Amino acid sequence: MKFSHIFYGTLNREKRAFSRLILDTAYSFFLPPFSFQIRVGGLYLLYCLYQCQTASPPEQIRLALKDWLDLSKFEKDAVDAQHLDAVYILRQLMFQKAFNFTAMPTVLVYKKKRKVEKSAPCEEFMERATRPQELINIELLEELSNIHELYGNLKSSVSLTSEQADPSFNLVRKDLIPQLRSTVMDFYKWQQRKDGTDEDEDSDEGTSSKQECSKRAELIASIKSKAFGEAAEAPKSRRHRQVEVNQTNYEAGPSHSSGYSRRNKPSLKTRTNENLYISGDLWKEVTTATHISRLTTLDFVRKEKPKEYKKFKW
Amino acid sequence: MAASKPSTSTDPNTNIPDYEYTDVNSNIFHIGSFREEWLNRLKPSNYSYEQEHEDTFDANFAQEMGIGADTMADLKSVCSLDSLRCHPVDQPPDTDFVPPDPTLRTLIQRKKKQDHRASLKICKNRHDLYADELERLTVGRKPEEEADMVPEGEVVLTINVYYPATFEKFTYVRPHVTLLMTGSHSLAELRDAICCVSDLQVCGEFSNTPDMAPDFISKDHYKSAFFYFEGVFYNDMRYPECQDISITTIEWAKTRNFPAYSQAKMEDTRFVDLKLKVGFPYLYCHQGDCEHLVIITDIRLTHENDCLDKKLYPLLTHKHRVTTQKCAVCHVYIGRWFTTDDQFAPSDPCLFCDKCFRMLHYDAEGNKLGEFLAYPYVDRGAFN
Repeated sequence: MKFSHIFYGTLNREKRAFSRLILDTAYSFFLPPFSFQIRVGGLYLLYCLYQCQTASPPEQIRLALKDWLDLSKFEKDAVDAQHLDAVYILRQLMFQKAFNFTAMPTVLVYKKKRKVEKSAPCEEFMERATRPQELINIELLEELSNIHELYGNLKSSVSLTSEQADPSFNLVRKDLIPQLRSTVMDFYKWQQRKDGTDEDEDSDEGTSSKQECSKRAELIASIKSKAFGEAAEAPKSRRHRQVEVNQTNYEAGPSHSSGYSRRNKPSLKTRTNENLYISGDLWKEVTTATHISRLTTLDFVRKEKPKEYKKFKW
Repeated sequence: MAASKPSTSTDPNTNIPDYEYTDVNSNIFHIGSFREEWLNRLKPSNYSYEQEHEDTFDANFAQEMGIGADTMADLKSVCSLDSLRCHPVDQPPDTDFVPPDPTLRTLIQRKKKQDHRASLKICKNRHDLYADELERLTVGRKPEEEADMVPEGEVVLTINVYYPATFEKFTYVRPHVTLLMTGSHSLAELRDAICCVSDLQVCGEFSNTPDMAPDFISKDHYKSAFFYFEGVFYNDMRYPECQDISITTIEWAKTRNFPAYSQAKMEDTRFVDLKLKVGFPYLYCHQGDCEHLVIITDIRLTHENDCLDKKLYPLLTHKHRVTTQKCAVCHVYIGRWFTTDDQFAPSDPCLFCDKCFRMLHYDAEGNKLGEFLAYPYVDRGAFN
């Protein structure tokens, strides 16, 4: 693995500029919302890039004040999990004074670009919120449905009229359990949709997604196997939820502003060149710069052919 | 100042800067408090200029983590830099060239650019030369006297000053100079460090008295100036000739629907007392109408690699050089005189350097020959 090769080939001032760019890019991987594993990877990346850079004196890693809390939390997590290598590397960077303690992560010059080209962060790296699924898990739902049944039985046994349920019976939402379940399912589906369609792709960092897949499967399986008394209402509520489902899918997900490219107005020079036609020598004279020095030279010296510079295209 | 930890509750700590608009500028914060926040969070060893001992570090780490010497040695070898090395120890590679057969996209593109550059016959870029020269003078400089050392934990600001609004090229895009200043410097010191050619302008026609021209430099006549940061005008009041030129704007704003502005003195305000936004444009106005955009691009704590000599601050880190216009006669010296209605000149108007001007227009005794109007001219690149 030829890690330090990325720095080779830069000359003089490019070294510093490139180091700055690559360190700033790598820094973003060290911060949330990426998962812990990715952040450790980001830390390693920063460490290695800092050591291998060719700029001298070395370009520092910019640490912003607002990220300090994240850094200390990360360190604490690493210590708790006994990831000694991560802690060692972090402490080494501090020891070598690799950090610049700054106000903002990058140098800001009030650049307002029309088209913001930001590469979308790799969804697999993100730490996804799993709280809803963790909270409303199968056991909880089972418990809830049991209690709900018991409550219903209790109420009906207490009321004198056995046929029609007492209006006071309707204090509790009848379809609480299915609604809870479907809400969590909706959230999970939305998350999945947001992350992309490749759920089959197995990534090493996707262990959490595997867990969720199994959770989801269990959820579906267990609840389908249970027949609820509220099944008759399910279609209605389901229909109602159907509409909601569609709505939430459009609203809950972040609106990806497809960067609409505003057509740039052509410059005055291009417009002039396109609209104005002057022929031959006059045109050449008009477009070339005036040589004031010719006013004071003794003899009229024919000017040499202008040098042509090939413009470099990436 | 009491240490205020950032709270996750409803009250956000306003001394911690964050983006107002992502990648554009930050929100407003007080520089002195920002510095305090950092110093509260760090250990003195984090920002000191001295390097700790490797052994001390190892011992402390082992003790803190409660690991034995063997584990420590293992850790060190696993995380050592040797594993990053991709060449044998005795054959250091030439880092100026891209290694052969690159597969990384960066390297492929870089190789393309290198090959293209090799095909052209351009010698070294002169702007790079000047920049290297500047760097050589300043980077990592330690002072001779201990008292001149920038103290540890001092805050350093990087300030971009742009060309005046009347300069048609590069307005607001390319900074004219980039200055580094410490927090304990005053705004007046920043003002003195900004060189603008409009300060050297001489108004008036001087064909009859060419030797008197340097006495009428605008810098001496119009000494007033102000900075505008976040609703406060900081006026220069050091000299008796200085007037408060910001009062016109303030009065005008009062009659319209503007928030009230206030005033302060430039020489009494230090950078640590200011409240401002990083990356947000502010104003420096001098000569009554020469306005420069000023942007604070970066604020951070000092580091051992910075220039630590206080006497060198305000430190110039970048200077943009404009091509100068040369004399119409010799094409060697920069034009200093500007003539109109001149019977001797080949064009109207015409630029002359001092020597050529005097040789052409005045005789050996200094008498004026012929009819012409002469104005002293300051080239835009006068500070190159």
